[in-house]
Amino acid sequence: MAAPILDIRGLVKSYTQGLLHRRETFRLEADLSFPTSAIVGVMGPNGSGKTTLFELITGSNMPSAGTVRVLGRDIHNVKYTERDRLAIHYHQSYQVRRFRRTRPSFLMQPAGLDYPVVHLFDEPQFNTQDGYIGFMLDFFRRLRSEGRLVLVCLHPNEPYHVELMEEVCERFVFVLAGRVREYPDFRSLVEAADVRAYLGRLVPNGGAR
Amino acid sequence: MALFEARGVHKRFGHQVVLENIDLSFESGRLSGIMGPNGAGKTTCFNVLTGRYKPDRGRVLFDGEDITGLSPNAIACRGIARSFQTISLFDEYSALENVLIALPEVRERGFNMIEPLSGDGADADRAAAVLARVGLAGRERRRAGDLAYGERRALEIGVALAAAPRLLFLDEPTSGLGVEATARLSEMVRELKHDYSIVVIEHDMQFLFGLADAISVIHWGQVIARGTPDELRENKWVQRSNLGRP
Repeated sequence: MAAPILDIRGLVKSYTQGLLHRRETFRLEADLSFPTSAIVGVMGPNGSGKTTLFELITGSNMPSAGTVRVLGRDIHNVKYTERDRLAIHYHQSYQVRRFRRTRPSFLMQPAGLDYPVVHLFDEPQFNTQDGYIGFMLDFFRRLRSEGRLVLVCLHPNEPYHVELMEEVCERFVFVLAGRVREYPDFRSLVEAADVRAYLGRLVPNGGAR
Repeated sequence: MALFEARGVHKRFGHQVVLENIDLSFESGRLSGIMGPNGAGKTTCFNVLTGRYKPDRGRVLFDGEDITGLSPNAIACRGIARSFQTISLFDEYSALENVLIALPEVRERGFNMIEPLSGDGADADRAAAVLARVGLAGRERRRAGDLAYGERRALEIGVALAAAPRLLFLDEPTSGLGVEATARLSEMVRELKHDYSIVVIEHDMQFLFGLADAISVIHWGQVIARGTPDELRENKWVQRSNLGRP
């Protein structure tokens, strides 16, 4: 069987503080697998670990444990400059991307692709005034139809944010305080108690069934 | 065959991919629009198409000739003119002189910046005709620096037209303009469409939707949508936006 597009196994990122008495300040854990093309909505509060998860997937941040495989290749063992040919992180405009280089590139694998197969959109600027939303959603669908995996992360603060996620995404991931959970569809997502608490007034009527 | 084509253009600045696999095609006699939000890569794309940056991969074709990697000057010599997002004029010179300097016949003869340019004769007539096309009749003797902002934008287009280009690129022509000045510019560009092949980069969708024959939407350094204004307007979210309203 072909390798999944994205396979995340036992992934842990732990941030600690203190030299003598090490204290964990943040811990992200994830186990996810996306065997085929899909559009996946990633939601969660600011600071919950969404961007960290994206950085671990694209190989711009080293995990404390676990692996991220894109089409079977361990992204953290791919040459730094070629990692975005497997998985690309479209940052929020104010973010600066920085690779931590710990090994010489000649020891690592090539990406083997010209155009990335995993596309991670980090808080795209969705606003209803200019109409770009429609083009962005169509672009996500086009990538999916070409056999690619799209992850869209959003911290919704308007009802239409939830609406567009429901419209375009077929699977969902909810990140809360470093815990990463997966939902097979929108309904199961908005039925989860902590998701409902998080979305508050944004929970659509459909979710109240 | 398209007058101008970009095929699979790819550009990186350091680790950042700024243009990914760009395919564009501009037809002769048409106004083609490129639109996208701020920071989408529109101006970088223009700079690659007009020779300021060399793409890392891909080809740029003008009238069937491969012009990839040619200098901006070599590309301009083939009949491509462009205006800039930030105005670049000789402020101390009159509107007429700014256009005169750009006339190919004047450039060939050579000129210096100290002696005044001849304000009469056939060259001046041609320059005045260009100014009239961009709505600056009567402003010939005005110092470029003293013109109103909208007039300076128009003059910049006049300077680009002086070379009688086969393809005219306009980079964010409405940038900094108010509603009225944008409407005037829109009328002027609509007139130019009769005689020129034009490519306009804009973030002002309303402006492009009113003028363009075809539009490519650029975001994340990629062409995320393309079509005629009517085709793009069919999108449900476009209809919900200001753009969808009549």
